[in-house]
Amino acid sequence: MPVATARAVSLQGTVGHLIEVQVDLSPGTVKTVLVGRPDAALNEARDRCRMAIANSWVDERLEWPATRRITILLSPSDLPKRGTHFDLAIAISVLAAADQVPAESLGHAVFVGELTLTGGLRSVPGVLPMAMTAASHGYSRIFVPEPQANEAALVPGLEVLGMRSLSQVVAELRGVAVPEAAPVAPVSGNPLLAWRGQDRSADLDFVDVFGVADARFAIEVAAAGGHHLQLSGPKGSGKTTLAERIPSILPDLTSEEALELAAIGSLAGVVEVETGVLPGLSQRPPFFAPHHSASRTSLLGGGAGRVRPGEISRAHAGVLFLDEFPLFGADVIEALRQPLESGEVTIARGEESATFPARGLVVLAANPCPCGDFHPYARENRCVCPETRRRDYRRRITGPLADRIDITRHVLPVQPHEMSDPLAAPEPSARIRARVELARARQAERYAGRSWRLNGQAPGPSLRSEWPLAAEVQALLDEQLYAGRLSRRGATRVHRLAWTVADLAGLARPGPEELGTAIRLRTGEPLSHRSLDREVLG
Amino acid sequence: MTEADRLARAALCRLTEPGDSRLAALVAELGAEQVRQQLLDERDLHGLAGEISGRLASLDPAGDLERADRRGIRFVIPGDDEWPESLNRLRWAAPIQGRGGVPLGLWVTGPLDLADQSRAVAIVGSRSCTSYGTGVAAEIAAVTARSGLAVVSGAAYGIDQAAHRGALGASGVTIAVLACGVDRVYPKGAESLLAHLRDHGAVVSEAPPGCAPLRLRFLSRNRLIAALSSGTVIVEAAYRSGALNTANWTSSLDRVLMGVPGPVTSAASQGVHGLLRNGAAALVTCGEDVLELVSPSGEHVMAPARGPERPTDSLTIRQRQVLDAVPLHRGAPADSIARTAGIGLIEVRTALGRLAALGLVESGESGWRLTSEVRSA
Repeated sequence: MPVATARAVSLQGTVGHLIEVQVDLSPGTVKTVLVGRPDAALNEARDRCRMAIANSWVDERLEWPATRRITILLSPSDLPKRGTHFDLAIAISVLAAADQVPAESLGHAVFVGELTLTGGLRSVPGVLPMAMTAASHGYSRIFVPEPQANEAALVPGLEVLGMRSLSQVVAELRGVAVPEAAPVAPVSGNPLLAWRGQDRSADLDFVDVFGVADARFAIEVAAAGGHHLQLSGPKGSGKTTLAERIPSILPDLTSEEALELAAIGSLAGVVEVETGVLPGLSQRPPFFAPHHSASRTSLLGGGAGRVRPGEISRAHAGVLFLDEFPLFGADVIEALRQPLESGEVTIARGEESATFPARGLVVLAANPCPCGDFHPYARENRCVCPETRRRDYRRRITGPLADRIDITRHVLPVQPHEMSDPLAAPEPSARIRARVELARARQAERYAGRSWRLNGQAPGPSLRSEWPLAAEVQALLDEQLYAGRLSRRGATRVHRLAWTVADLAGLARPGPEELGTAIRLRTGEPLSHRSLDREVLG
Repeated sequence: MTEADRLARAALCRLTEPGDSRLAALVAELGAEQVRQQLLDERDLHGLAGEISGRLASLDPAGDLERADRRGIRFVIPGDDEWPESLNRLRWAAPIQGRGGVPLGLWVTGPLDLADQSRAVAIVGSRSCTSYGTGVAAEIAAVTARSGLAVVSGAAYGIDQAAHRGALGASGVTIAVLACGVDRVYPKGAESLLAHLRDHGAVVSEAPPGCAPLRLRFLSRNRLIAALSSGTVIVEAAYRSGALNTANWTSSLDRVLMGVPGPVTSAASQGVHGLLRNGAAALVTCGEDVLELVSPSGEHVMAPARGPERPTDSLTIRQRQVLDAVPLHRGAPADSIARTAGIGLIEVRTALGRLAALGLVESGESGWRLTSEVRSA
């Protein structure tokens, strides 16, 4: 049969397209052409496939149809395609066209993998989203490089065949005994560096944090309702200490979220592809804290060639901590506005556009001034910054971005008497997490069947029409609005926050007390002690 | 004091509401034994007796004291070594809302000797306070406790508990004065605090063990908080807060009343602001302020607060005039500066010499100009 078709997957962001790799062998000038808008790396597939086939044995040496004109079409042809993972599909398709594997065996299978000249099958990034695409298009089998079989196996209802070489794939398709093959080294190396404390985030717990009752409560609200948070305070006041413990009070990821995250990690090429071990799906929410020198691309996604997800997407369903926020590049700060508002990042480039989820909790930390010693509420100010510099610095966080941050909290350093208080019993993360889970369950019930899960994501109009505040509570909010203490958008944020405060307290709807707390959370004023005192709430 | 007096007082305080000013006046006049005897004899003492004499006869003060003793509770009465003399001042203070007078005795538990705590500071405030208030209360308590003063408060939620905790955090001494019996836990959330104070501090009440925290008892309790202390700090109190009652007692006992201001927009501070505005309370911002006010004169004097010193502070007006006239970048000769400043040349020359010695001006090719430090400041 001179024509054969095998399937592969092309990825644009997290959107997968099923690609038919069609091969035609016909008489004519001996030549191999690859059409269907391949990029450079993909164009070289012709040579990799030819040598891989020539160097593979199954009973006898496989044969590249060297006397024919070979036309390889990647269909749909108008879709630009990049990457080396089409190799396996191309090679199999050529072999099927040359009658070396039975064409009917390709019907329900998708092929993923890069070939070496000796016929080995190498790992490629993005296997998990490719497997998801294959499954959603109704394919039941997927051939992947052996080290990535675990990754593909996360997708339910898919038969995953992890293979080491082209010959193993061919043997499997022919239904004969699969030959031995040497394991192929993964593309990127093993982590060369391992350092003590690398995994320390797993042990972080709020039980070690003294004082800062205000900030603790604000963080609990942020976690429960998915509200973005800004911590400001002089250096050494414990902003990082607080932020890196936020994952410890977030609920376990849902299996849906875990899969989304693994897919994002797979696209970023970091889902343990290197070591070949995927330890199941992590149930714990991720924490990313990119340095303030991070580029816009690394934070939001993009990059030359393949579009990679940025840190904001890798922190999806987890926490993205931006320490020393005003030191981030102005373009980065500007670019954060869209994802903060919409919960996703869209990177448009020429005819390509990739969308990644970005529903993580964004936590900004900022010193109150360039020298880090200024504090509006501190009795003694050691700050040496001229007022003009302080204003410039502050302007970077205020403006349009500040309106997208629901909660503002000033953190003061813990006092010695708070550390040595014999009755101080900071609450462990597990107990806070239990409350956060309950509050989230209430939200899930309320928003069942909607496209959002948390108060922080609820659209303002729906909130006002379907989950309005009680008349007397709304009147209090309007008062703030007319007094100019809140913007219109700020009032919507307070509305959302009030619901979260009510959800945490287990109330049917927010009352005046919850609204008061919400306003304070938003404006940065000290919280009322009653809202902080768990023992009163019981 | 005789045991009979102690028994009479124990019986009387079981019989009546704490802080009954009429009874306190009678006891002060006649002595407790006499009052008890007369009540037992059904003599009408200003309409007080009536039905209560029947109840008085059925009381068992000796058993009461013994049961209390077994639970580590002592009954301290005037004349005892442990009796805090500061309470005697109550005898001359006018009753407030019908409450007043020296207490018949204090029920005390905890290792602290009340007589040793003659210098104490009360820190009280609203239960519905903000984290600003609890933070300041704890800080003031820590500073005063560290300097050896006992912190007195009421174990209530909010400011009271923050004050106790601040003192404990500074390894200091703190006393809780309750409206209920010292064996009871009120409010419920104060359980660990009260347990700690029973072991390491003192828990005090005028009401005998077992008494419930009835609302009016807080009013009489507040007078004890004020009377046990050299001064009272109100941290946050809205209008109508119970802490303002303590403030009233402090004033009427001629003790130092102090108030911590809050944001003027904060409802939780309105009551304090009222006290500050009408001059009833002194404004304090930190523990050191409090120490200065409650300590014997001259013991804790605060240096007056002032901004950082600048080199120009020491200049005379004429020298500053000259400094203002010195150009920023491009130097100017002395006579041009003299014209600008409107001062005679000789005086300008002298002034420039002084300014140069202070490193404020420098002379270059074209004349005098400001040094780079002054320019950037």
